[in-house]
Amino acid sequence: MSHHLFILSPSDTPIYNLTYSSTKPAPAIISPLSSNLPTWSTSAFAGTLTALSGASSTTQLTTGGGVRIGGGQDRHVIQMIANASLDAVEDVMRKEGTMYLKGVDKFNEWTVSAFITPGNTKFVLLHEAKNDEGIKSFFLDVWELYVKTMLNPFYSNQQVIRSSTFDSRVRASAKKFL
Amino acid sequence: MNSSVDHLSPTTSSARFSLPSKPTPGSKLNIYERNLNKTRLSEVSAASLSFLFSEIVQYTQKRVSGINDLERRLNTLGYRVGTRVLELTAYRAEFSSKAPKREIRLLPALMAIHTQVWRAVYGRPADAIEKSVENVDEYMIIDNDPLIERHISVPRDLSGLSCSSFSAGIVEAVLDGLGFPARVTAHHTPTATHPTRATILIKFEKSVLDREDILK
Repeated sequence: MSHHLFILSPSDTPIYNLTYSSTKPAPAIISPLSSNLPTWSTSAFAGTLTALSGASSTTQLTTGGGVRIGGGQDRHVIQMIANASLDAVEDVMRKEGTMYLKGVDKFNEWTVSAFITPGNTKFVLLHEAKNDEGIKSFFLDVWELYVKTMLNPFYSNQQVIRSSTFDSRVRASAKKFL
Repeated sequence: MNSSVDHLSPTTSSARFSLPSKPTPGSKLNIYERNLNKTRLSEVSAASLSFLFSEIVQYTQKRVSGINDLERRLNTLGYRVGTRVLELTAYRAEFSSKAPKREIRLLPALMAIHTQVWRAVYGRPADAIEKSVENVDEYMIIDNDPLIERHISVPRDLSGLSCSSFSAGIVEAVLDGLGFPARVTAHHTPTATHPTRATILIKFEKSVLDREDILK
């Protein structure tokens, strides 16, 4: 079961992203669309199409249950889902005063949760299973790390976060909560 | 009581005023290992702040041509401080709460600047918030005795300069972050009792007021 975290600066430039596969088993997803889709295995866009249709089960068969395409191989599809969810996030954040927005958007098997810092930096997390409390704790950890990054006078909030300590700490927190 | 006596005794005080021979364990910590709440109640001495700010103004003044330019640069410097102040004060206030909140209404946001932000930066709340009578989109935050201007006397040929442009930059950053884009300027508005009184004038963009009307 994989998770995808994107951190976006106030002007919506991506400043950090993380793909994390937890050891917990993925829930069985029955997608009606994917079972009706023909298998265009020779098409160049087969990967995208199956991923878009949420056909995690069909690809699982072809690769022998190892790596699922819907589960994180297609970076561009994941990025598209995350970017598309920003519209939903921005709609909600104008009305809701909470920082943690759970399940603001859904796309096939992906649920999108977001966290808006007071300075309008957005953490967007794509996940498959419901895990509200864990995700909230994870976001709070990432927020703490982000605030610490911000406090560095050499960091401005448009820059990509390259710190390896930041990365390893986010990973540790993902391991703990996701 | 005990600790203050320790600091004064000659045997232990030496380390405080000279460089220690070995780096203390604290200095090896990188920023990710420090606790953000540790310095919440610690204060910086007003003298060092005044000295630092005086250097900032001098440095800036050498590189500009005119009052407007100087104020704009001070504003930019304040903006950099403001983005951090916002994030840090909010973190300290909300981290332990069950459902951390952002401010989305206009007046509570202004109140938060008046009290929390001012307290975090200058150690006490600002003196007043006023709403402009002529323009609905203008608000003012008033500081009767701005800490950073306490030791500054503006020369006659620069009259009209307000060094509180730095505070204006902080306010602008906080409002921007919270989603209330505004143009913020500082003005020197002396009164008989408060000769250094400064007014931070906030002029919101139209979108802010439109959204506020919808939320009502």
